Amino acid sequence: MQELIQQVVSGLASGAIFASLALALVLIYNAMGLVNFAQGEMAMFATFIAFTLIIHGLNYWIAFPLTLGIAFVAGVVIERVVIRPVERAPVLTLVIVTLGLATLVNGAAGFLFGYVPRSFPSPFSVQTINILGAFASFQDLSVIAVCGIVLIAIYLLLQRTTIGLTLRAAAHHPEPSRLLGVRVSWMLALGWGLASAVGAVSGIMVAPILLLEPNMMQTIIIYAFAAAVLGGIESPLGAVVGGLIVGLTVNLAGAYVPFVGGDLELAVALAIIVGVLVIKPNGLFGRAAVRNV
Amino acid sequence: MPSALLELENVHCGYGQTSVLHGVTLSVPEGSIVSLLGANGAGKTTTLRAITGGVHWLGDIRFAGRSLRGRHTEDIVGEGIAHVPEGRGILTELTVDENLRLGAHKRKDRDAVRKDYDRVFEYFPVLKERRWLSASTLSGGEQQMLAVARALLMKPRLMLLDEPSLGLAPLVVRSIFEIIRTINQTDHVAVLLVEQNARLALELSTEAYVLEVGRVAVSGKSAELQGQESVRRSYLGY
Ligand SMILES: Nc1ncnc2c1ncn2[C@@H]1O[C@H](COP(=O)(O)OP(=O)(O)OP(=O)(O)O)[C@@H](O)[C@H]1O
Ligand SMILES: [Mg+2]
Repeated sequence: MQELIQQVVSGLASGAIFASLALALVLIYNAMGLVNFAQGEMAMFATFIAFTLIIHGLNYWIAFPLTLGIAFVAGVVIERVVIRPVERAPVLTLVIVTLGLATLVNGAAGFLFGYVPRSFPSPFSVQTINILGAFASFQDLSVIAVCGIVLIAIYLLLQRTTIGLTLRAAAHHPEPSRLLGVRVSWMLALGWGLASAVGAVSGIMVAPILLLEPNMMQTIIIYAFAAAVLGGIESPLGAVVGGLIVGLTVNLAGAYVPFVGGDLELAVALAIIVGVLVIKPNGLFGRAAVRNV
Repeated sequence: MPSALLELENVHCGYGQTSVLHGVTLSVPEGSIVSLLGANGAGKTTTLRAITGGVHWLGDIRFAGRSLRGRHTEDIVGEGIAHVPEGRGILTELTVDENLRLGAHKRKDRDAVRKDYDRVFEYFPVLKERRWLSASTLSGGEQQMLAVARALLMKPRLMLLDEPSLGLAPLVVRSIFEIIRTINQTDHVAVLLVEQNARLALELSTEAYVLEVGRVAVSGKSAELQGQESVRRSYLGY
């Protein structure tokens, strides 16, 4: 039982990390019907920025929000400079552009920061705390809390503010929104900024668990992608639930199914997701693909 | 002669290689209702699109004396033009309330917005009942009411309405037209009304233009056009 609680907590912690990156993917998918393959690399780069700030003596809790701010601005700039010129191009063109962007960001990180894996400082103590007689790692609980706060903040922004309303309007109905005075093109840039910042959270949270190096996010992005698809790719709530399910599944399967050690975890996660999608092709929170004519 | 709120002067436009409007000239006086009639494919929708910057055009379009050349849709509607597009432009992913809020989202005069909400709910009580539901649950007539209500919340000086009667039962059309008249009279909002239902449109409007393949074929006072049997027969089909 103790062991199970521990596994559930650390599953939720991984899940929260996947959820953040999955939400980033969903924000951009909603805005332009595009999977941003550079999302993980952008998160990795942001993590390097946080790392640089911290090793230069900045307090973690200042470096963290500062990095999110930088990531936001960078996301907006990338949209304006790289995506805007090809905004109306076919989706395949956009996909190639994001793949190119991923390679570019990865190479830039290698060039600037090197490929030597570095240990990322964690502000959370490695102690365990006792809940209901089981010991859960403080690190895991903190990751859950930080991601939780960020996800709730995004939820409130999207659902409770005028800017969030215009973001959702522009994402789903660009033409009618424009007629209501919504600056659709800027909303896309804003979507990229938000996605970039939320993605950075996943990078900064996962870095102390893995080691920080340019390829750090390459497995995480696959889990995040799986989570987003599982949730229905268009649904922010779906991305979060999907992330948590993937995190839990991977952890529990890794711990309790004998032959699923490290190497098979990814395969197990993907197999389960394929299973769900066979039953519910639009994902758990996806709508049936009905178009209004 | 009172200066017109909206003026189109020799407007040409099209989509890619196909040209659709071949020199349209029309004007909408301040506070008036003007009908734009014509057969399917005559270019009525395209004319409205040109006004709010949805298609490129040549010639000139002026609103309140200023040319709209080169302006973006978002800016043009901010000047006080509410465009209810063909198909109503309801944001079905959002709730009824969110649709209404989007209409008013640029306005700073919060007290006036609150009053306008009350008025809109007075005109269309059904929207108040359905306020928190998804807009996709509304019937066609209710969606048209929402579109007009949302346009009113933009506090426009001019409303462009593209076939508000399309697909609606006659009784519903009547009540929507009555409200358009009320809005026009109490708020002094000018209306450019695109309609297939020429008979109703001519009853509501003071002036009318009939488009035929991208040109104004006939124009004049609505009452006069109603009285000319030859015009009615050859252009308006009743
Ligand atoms: N997006 C478009 N691309 C290419 N051609 C178009 C487009 N929209 C309209 N057209 C063409 O332009 C012409 C005028 O169309 P428009 O929609 O303005 O007519 P309308 O008077 O509004 O007709 P209806 O009464 O059927 O709505 C038609 O020949 C139509 O085929
Ligand atoms: Mg039309």
